[in-house]
Amino acid sequence: MSALLLMAPALLLLLVVFVWPLLDYAWLSLQAQSVFTGLEAVPVGTLNWQRLLVDGRFWQDAWQTLRFAAVSVALELVAGLAIALLLHQRWRGRGVVRGLALLPWALPTTVMALGWRWIFNDPYGPINGLLQLLGLATLPFLAAPELAWLATVVADVWKTTPFVALLLLAGLQMIPDDLYEAFALEGGTPWQGLWRITLPLLRPYIFIVLLFRLAQALGVFDLIAVLTGGGPASSTESLALYAYLNAMRFLDFGYSATVMLGMFLLLLAGAGGLLLWRRQTDAPQEVRP
Amino acid sequence: MKAGTRTGLVALLLLWSLGPMLWQLYTSLRTPEALLAGAGGLAGGWTLANYGAVLGSDPPFWRYLLNSTVVGALSTLLTLALAIPCAYALSRRGGLLRLLVGGGLLAAAVFPYVLLFLALLQVARQLGLANNLLALCLPYAGLQLPLAVLLLQAAFAELPPELEESALLEGFSLWQRLRWILLPLMGPAVVSTGLLVFLFSWNEFPIALTWISRSELLTLAPAMARIAGSSVYTVPYGAFAAATVLGSVPLLALLLLFQRQIVAGLTQGAIKG
Amino acid sequence: MTHTSDPATATATAKEHTTATSLRLEGLCRRIGGRPILDGINLEVAAGECLALLGPSGCGKSTVLRVIAGLDPCDGGRILLDGRDISQQKPARRRVAMVFQSYALYPHLSVERNLSLGMELRGVDPEQRERELAAVLELLQLSALRRRRPSELSGGQRQRVALARALLRKPQLMLLDEPMSNLDAQLREELRPQLRTILCGGRAPAIYVTHDQQEAMGIADRIAVLQEGRLQQCGTPQELYQHPANLFVAGFIGRPQINLLPQGDGTVVGIRPEHLRAVDEGGLAVRVRSREWHGASQLLLLESAQGPLRWTCDGNQTLGDDLRLGWERRHEHRFEQASGERC
Repeated sequence: MSALLLMAPALLLLLVVFVWPLLDYAWLSLQAQSVFTGLEAVPVGTLNWQRLLVDGRFWQDAWQTLRFAAVSVALELVAGLAIALLLHQRWRGRGVVRGLALLPWALPTTVMALGWRWIFNDPYGPINGLLQLLGLATLPFLAAPELAWLATVVADVWKTTPFVALLLLAGLQMIPDDLYEAFALEGGTPWQGLWRITLPLLRPYIFIVLLFRLAQALGVFDLIAVLTGGGPASSTESLALYAYLNAMRFLDFGYSATVMLGMFLLLLAGAGGLLLWRRQTDAPQEVRP
Repeated sequence: MKAGTRTGLVALLLLWSLGPMLWQLYTSLRTPEALLAGAGGLAGGWTLANYGAVLGSDPPFWRYLLNSTVVGALSTLLTLALAIPCAYALSRRGGLLRLLVGGGLLAAAVFPYVLLFLALLQVARQLGLANNLLALCLPYAGLQLPLAVLLLQAAFAELPPELEESALLEGFSLWQRLRWILLPLMGPAVVSTGLLVFLFSWNEFPIALTWISRSELLTLAPAMARIAGSSVYTVPYGAFAAATVLGSVPLLALLLLFQRQIVAGLTQGAIKG
Repeated sequence: MTHTSDPATATATAKEHTTATSLRLEGLCRRIGGRPILDGINLEVAAGECLALLGPSGCGKSTVLRVIAGLDPCDGGRILLDGRDISQQKPARRRVAMVFQSYALYPHLSVERNLSLGMELRGVDPEQRERELAAVLELLQLSALRRRRPSELSGGQRQRVALARALLRKPQLMLLDEPMSNLDAQLREELRPQLRTILCGGRAPAIYVTHDQQEAMGIADRIAVLQEGRLQQCGTPQELYQHPANLFVAGFIGRPQINLLPQGDGTVVGIRPEHLRAVDEGGLAVRVRSREWHGASQLLLLESAQGPLRWTCDGNQTLGDDLRLGWERRHEHRFEQASGERC
């Protein structure tokens, strides 16, 4: 049977879910559709795009989103690798611990964001409870910009490190043991083995992790919407949250579509840059399964 | 690594992973007064009232669990039904088609889907799919298809080609080869892919929030947000924590049951070049 | 290992399993990216005949099987099964059975499910299925193993299951792709007579691909030698040995390898190591370099003015360092140096 016929149903659904919305946004971004137009679409040319270019909040949110993603993903990569190495060793009860360690990743983000809100509560949360026990002053975690930002990073690292660890663990399992044995026979220490064997061979997996996690972190929405609501004073607001607020709170659909497309274009530029960088750095060794 | 060091690190890992959950469990068993009295005293203030409140509300909490389970299961089946033929065709093809479709799928798989919710909401309104629980399967399957196809096509590509060729010469049809030879050998990949889709559907928030407004049709994530938001000034943490615990038990069971398949399935599928 | 089975019964059963057909390849071609993998192969295999396709690895011999089976496309020429061209038919319709080098047993199914699944899906009724299954299990001494998984079988047992599955297909043509290459040498030698009984006893033609000339000679009625996608020679083992059509066949068939002595006149004389004789005068002056002890005989590696020589001689012979060797004219093969063809 023809390959295209087998792919057709899946590709059709993908067109509806991915391509159609983007085309819809492209159209919508050239309209004014808000409470001021009685929620009717009125063509306004590039007005929304002009607004986007000078919208301080959009660019501020872009910077905040990028900073959030970079810091969270970097921390997740380090922590995830450590956890993967631990879970890769053989010991009794490893299977159960693997399952338990995955729990944060499996739980709904919204649910655990609320859980973290309670943990960071001032003054009744456990962290402030602990500070009080130690005779220290409580910290207004969700009310001060720097602390609120830290809270979003902690919650995100907690939630997604298991996923990073899982992918890296899969990668570790692909490295044959005899490489380490040969390396040890040549007098290499385990620490050297990590740098000379494990990390180079994990590179394709690390790339996949970076790709998925950066994309997810740059699109962060639920976590911040629930944990801080973007506050205080939109200091933790992400681009996706800003686009959502434009549509659902300010009921400005035309501009919301523009913000989403603008974010999409920024991501596209970022992805292009990343691919270019990758091509330059490891063009000689293509990894094929 | 010394066994003692390792035990310590494992304990640390479990504390970090499970700590917030244990705090929820603790919260769910305390009276509001005990919670506001601070983290200090453990004596007194224990109660099951929070669970009673959650299970006795209208609609009762198990209704959300049921909704999420139905949506999750149907989305998973739909995704697999669409992804398996597509992944098979992709894995048996070389050249430009595979490169183009594969690249497109990878781009779609990493696309932050939150961006799509507004347009998808319009689709739902135009097609009259708002407040239709089963209709949620369509965007869920669509959003998870790229990852599912990529994982499954890697698993297909890993099977020795002679197995299928042998079945071909025995006169098996395409369906028979998939049903009797290929899919039984891809167990871990199918299970882990299905589980990823199920978890996504079970946890999805923005689309469920905007498509569903009738409370008896809510799935877990928006229902929890509603419980948390039911009081304007303070989150009713006890009831919310009880809901969290109840909502987590099925996921925990799934993870412990399938952890081996999840890791094995991703081992097959993680590298796509 | 016991592989004793009554040849008469085996032949009878094998006959039931196959239908009398003959196969003809006319100018079979296969190209990958413009490069010819098979270049106009002409062959004929009679009903009940077993033909071995012999050649070094990469010569295209497995590709011949895959094109006949329909697993690879046929880029030119015809495949005639009983005079009917099947080259454009779907593989499933060709009624061809193939034993793969890796055996391709379905790893998740027991031996009996491996064997019966095909019949089941082809709609054979359960009673007949059980009857045929029992017969083939009996024929290949697999009855005791019917509930095992492939991973619980030895290499030889797996090979027999693969063979059984191929027989149950009731093929018009049987194809075997190096079915013994995963077995150890002793087992291979033991299995050869049994395989010959089953393959040559049937009515369908069989093509047996191997890179091992001993195996080809031991099993097949005729041997086709393939090199770089071209058929070099096809004939009985004796014909290939006694009258090699060109330098390649002469060098490929026969162990130890034939001695090739370039003459001044643009020809090459080939003389097999066992046909050399020690002579007192005349002949070729040689010096012994080393020797391999083979029990009843010994192989001497010699050096002469015309290059290195191999000589198989009596194991008891005692030798000096310097010898003179000659041969009888009738044992001499003469080839044109430029084309490699026999003169």
